[in-house]
Amino acid sequence: MIIKHQEKIASPQVIQRQFEALGYICSPSVATAIYLACHLQKPILIEGPPGVGKTELAKITAAYLNTPLIRMQCYEGLDESKALYEWKYGKQLLYTQVLKEQLGDVLRGARGLDESIARLHDFGDIFYSQDFLEPRPLLQALQSEEGAVLLVDEIDKADQEFEAFLLELLSDYQVSIPEIGTVKARSTPIVMLTSNNTRELGDALKRRCLHLYIPFPDTELESRILAAQVDNLDTQLREQIVTLIAKLRDMPLKKSPAVSETIDWAKALLLLNVEELDPHWVKETLNLLLKFQDDIELVEPEITNLLKGVA
Amino acid sequence: MRFIADFIGALREAGLPISPAESLDAIKAIELLGLESRATAKSVLALTLVKRHQDQATYHELFELYFAHIENAHANGDNTLESLEATDKQQSQSQNQESAEAKDGSAAIASSELGLSLLQQQDMALAIAQAAKAENLSSIVLFTQKNHFAYKIMQRLGGDELNTEIRAIVDSPEQKRLQEQLTQARARLLEQVKDYVEQQYLIFARHKGAKFREDHLQQAKLSQLEHTDYALMQRLVQKAARKLATQHSRRRLTRKRGQLDVRKTIAANAAFDGALFHTRWKATRVERPKIMVICDVSGSVSRVARFLLLFLYSLQDVIPKVRSYVFASDMIEVTTLLQQEEIESALEKIMQCWGGLSTDYGQALMNFQEQALTHIDQKTTIIMLGDARNNQGDGRPDIWQKVYRQSKRVLWLNPEQRNSWDTGDSIMAQYSPWCSSVEPCRSLNDIEGIFSRILKYA
Repeated sequence: MIIKHQEKIASPQVIQRQFEALGYICSPSVATAIYLACHLQKPILIEGPPGVGKTELAKITAAYLNTPLIRMQCYEGLDESKALYEWKYGKQLLYTQVLKEQLGDVLRGARGLDESIARLHDFGDIFYSQDFLEPRPLLQALQSEEGAVLLVDEIDKADQEFEAFLLELLSDYQVSIPEIGTVKARSTPIVMLTSNNTRELGDALKRRCLHLYIPFPDTELESRILAAQVDNLDTQLREQIVTLIAKLRDMPLKKSPAVSETIDWAKALLLLNVEELDPHWVKETLNLLLKFQDDIELVEPEITNLLKGVA
Repeated sequence: MRFIADFIGALREAGLPISPAESLDAIKAIELLGLESRATAKSVLALTLVKRHQDQATYHELFELYFAHIENAHANGDNTLESLEATDKQQSQSQNQESAEAKDGSAAIASSELGLSLLQQQDMALAIAQAAKAENLSSIVLFTQKNHFAYKIMQRLGGDELNTEIRAIVDSPEQKRLQEQLTQARARLLEQVKDYVEQQYLIFARHKGAKFREDHLQQAKLSQLEHTDYALMQRLVQKAARKLATQHSRRRLTRKRGQLDVRKTIAANAAFDGALFHTRWKATRVERPKIMVICDVSGSVSRVARFLLLFLYSLQDVIPKVRSYVFASDMIEVTTLLQQEEIESALEKIMQCWGGLSTDYGQALMNFQEQALTHIDQKTTIIMLGDARNNQGDGRPDIWQKVYRQSKRVLWLNPEQRNSWDTGDSIMAQYSPWCSSVEPCRSLNDIEGIFSRILKYA
């Protein structure tokens, strides 16, 4: 991508600071990943538990670099006609109708089959051409003049074939369309892929990407995230929330509370005018944090214990 | 950049698959950001080199070891890695000068060069590192080699001359004092060398040794495993099962488009004047295999059976319809036991109840006929694990024939090697006509191969 503002990506520290100003608190290694992706022009594969801000990172990067964010959500059965391009069938149909009418003019005076065919050959064929091409997210990203952040979300949900199909795009920033030829990126997009590890991704894909693993944040980082995301949150309550969440993540839960859930919870507590965590309120609002009944049943009897070290 | 190359080497030894392309990425990235900050270096190398989450811990450990070692070795430098190579040269130059001066001035004190440097209390770290490099210490594989390398390094540092000198000095109290000093210095140096070797061993070899052992276990005969290997073996079995599981589930995910469904296509395109814009396809149904596994858990077979059951347990996610039976004389279904219990306790229970009893294939097959014959259909694969040693009883091959006719496929896995089949009380020949294939199953590699074939053609 032609980076319009070189100074924006001068160093990982600059990126980290600026992201922070935009409300995305990240660890140095996240900033380093963005820095390298811009400078080495490599895609980033982002992994980590759900809700640690993988998708958010792509959004904030696009906002920061002031480029459009093109997002492609992957799912089982996704194929290139949905991801890359599709032909505008309706328009093509109209074109053939028009062609039919014109055919008489084109072929007028031609003698024999050979001559007719020769004339048809001379007649420009635009049936498969850019005019009838409907660009889908991937092609849009390649065609974007001012660059783009391309987010391929949850690549692990897509099929094996689709992953293989992405390889050309990821290494050379180009795709081959059989009827037209190779389409190269006008300006290299920044590509981010996210994965929740539903299945193991192929080595070929991983080799082409920087690999960023975002774990659950430590208490200090999470506290800063909360401060940035939730206004008017009392410092003491914030610390209590963060400590309790850290403890919950240590428990053998089906699904540990994610950062996004921490934020929701904090907002809820704020709404309820809770000033200090107490067993009653934790119990009342536990379903905001835990999404499985089993987990709730596991945590509920422990609440008093958990809160002991917190307050 | 030599440091990076060495570090990548160490990572590869530890089992991280790092391609040349990734090494180049790492070097480019390091060129961009430098190595001044250890934290940055760490995340840069992690971003470019570590692609699997399970390798993070190994990476973390090796990074700390490796960079601590480099920084220690150059503690008198300014601690930044970039300047290390420069410091390297400077140091060795000044050291040469010093020792030359020392030789001219006070050669009377110690004659060997090593003794001299030691008495001057020079920092030997660099010399040790160089000697180690010359001896190719990074090729160390087993912990038993540590002493050997330490000895070699001492020799290269001039240990022989020092020893001769220490032995040669006699008489005068002054000389005695020198002898003592030298002996102490030698001991200290040896300690330092050993530390260094230990550290290098940790970086380069520990994982090599483990890998060596794993490779060995992959091929080892299951029946002859030591009890101490069980834990590691169990991990390997689970690893193999997981590998098969991912391969297979991948195949299941890719639902192939079948033939064109003409009726649906025409219906879907009625709006377009019969021009076929949208195609509709018949989906191919994926037939999941039904598998029944019968395990002989008597006496000698029980050890292999243990691993087969372990393997089955790990495969449950991939093949939902596995039914497992075990027998010595009476046969019993253990499917629910394997599903509900933790693997350890399930195996214990099975082995306790049935393990070690004497075999009666006839009785077992009769039980099987009562319990399971009605469940067998043309989609069922039967796997039998047993040595067909029947203590001279009636083996009831007629039942096995029924099983064969009713099922899709019958596999017999025999933990003995082929040439001991049909010797003694083994009645393999009675069963083998009624099997789709009969294979020896003697190592983890065998089990893995057999299951991969089952899944492939299932």
